[in-house]
Amino acid sequence: MSRSFQAIVVGAGPAGSSAALTMARAGLDVALVERGSFPGEKNMFGGVLHRLPSLEKIFPDFWERAPLERHIVKKGVTFMTGDSSFNTTIEAGSFDRPPFNGYTIFRPRFDRWLAEEAVKAGATLITRASVDEVLQSDGQVTGVTILDRKGALKAPVVVAADGVLSFTALKAGLRRPSFDPGQMAVGVKALIDLESDLIDERFGLVREQGFANEFVGCTAGVRGGGFLYTNYDSLSVGLVFHLASLKGSGKTPYDLLNAFLEQPQVAKMVRGGRLQEYSAHLIPEGGYDMIPELYGAGILVAGDAAALCNATGLNLEGINLASQSGVLAGEAAIAAHKARDFSRKGLSIYKSLLDESYVMKDLKSYRRAPQMLHNNRIYNEYPELVCSLMEQLYRIEGTPKENLSKLFLKAARDKVGLKNLAADGFSAWRAL
Amino acid sequence: MNIDEIFDFTSFNIDREPHIVLDAGVCVECDSRGCTNSCPARCYTWNEEERKMTFVHDGCLECGTCYVVCQRKAFTRWRYPRGGFGVAYRMT
Repeated sequence: MSRSFQAIVVGAGPAGSSAALTMARAGLDVALVERGSFPGEKNMFGGVLHRLPSLEKIFPDFWERAPLERHIVKKGVTFMTGDSSFNTTIEAGSFDRPPFNGYTIFRPRFDRWLAEEAVKAGATLITRASVDEVLQSDGQVTGVTILDRKGALKAPVVVAADGVLSFTALKAGLRRPSFDPGQMAVGVKALIDLESDLIDERFGLVREQGFANEFVGCTAGVRGGGFLYTNYDSLSVGLVFHLASLKGSGKTPYDLLNAFLEQPQVAKMVRGGRLQEYSAHLIPEGGYDMIPELYGAGILVAGDAAALCNATGLNLEGINLASQSGVLAGEAAIAAHKARDFSRKGLSIYKSLLDESYVMKDLKSYRRAPQMLHNNRIYNEYPELVCSLMEQLYRIEGTPKENLSKLFLKAARDKVGLKNLAADGFSAWRAL
Repeated sequence: MNIDEIFDFTSFNIDREPHIVLDAGVCVECDSRGCTNSCPARCYTWNEEERKMTFVHDGCLECGTCYVVCQRKAFTRWRYPRGGFGVAYRMT
């Protein structure tokens, strides 16, 4: 059986559901196609949802309605070696008041909620539907077929929001046939249950306050980092690796994750918890230079499918960019319907809207960050430098102390080399 | 965490028809076999004695790592599982 819609969205993640919601609210007849048995079933991420200005416009009381775990009041960075760690944390009063700056969430709950909001607005959700072919006629995308189902879904505009590998964009000729492992990262995560009272006490939290900590130096020299986030009564603990570096290292993600969980300072944080779920996913970390063609005749690409992910080293933003791009794809489709023009030119407004938004502006500003983060010293030598310097500063030996600048120069020469330090400082300054 | 016990903590609705099909003959010639260490679910194992690659799709987390790291294009099929099959996250 074939069905016609005014728009088809492939993938009910944050980008797809934001697009479907935007179009349905404008009265378009939208199909939202999801391969999982419910939206969110297939979706995994580190655990922190940054603030979503795109959705706050639609839901002014977003934090009251969405299924959130804790709001982040405290953010930390830890430089780590095998047995020591140096932490910095910022806890801000403004992070504890709406509009909150970020939350921990579970994707199977959050994504499902957002898709249901699109359905309430009038979208048709089709689950257990894995898109097979992208139908084209004279170079114009006209719909999709579903694996193992007869017939087709037809529409004058398709939004490809099918995630990082986007086979929809590939089949429409918008992305290159292969990916560069240097532009991809893989994240692995252990979901560990822990009583909420214990989390509050252990991390210095009250009510539904949350803590988000990133780690560097915990990946045995593989380029990457770690994270620990507090959910309501569980912890999300994991590692992210640059794929080219992981591949070449011969090390495995699960062995490195186990070593991270056993690092003495991390072990204390997760003590008493039980593993509930293990998950993994790719992250498009190439930044601006990785972005595929964002539109074609009858098709728009949004979210991870469009590699809209900003890895600056401190923050890893994805869902906020996905949701914003989804809203803009929805607006572009609405404009195309008004103008009755679904040609490549008619849909080019999507690119203009994205360029004007923070999505492209941020990706352009941080265009050099992915390359800067390919510096292996960040993941081994610098954490060692920081930890050893701090350790020496505090250590009492009963002998006269060296002054700070001497200590620093000595440690820097030992661990990194002064030339490298100057070069890395310059490249970080340029990139950030 | 023991990766061999992945089915104890992550839920799957396993499809008998594999969504990824590997031409393992290609892997014999590969000088990197980055899939064996990079796959977060250890779906790929290389037996050096028999010089043989084994791939099992059952515990696949559908993360996409093998699709990106394979430099020999050893897949005769690489798609996501049919609708409703594969990994089913509950709280990640």
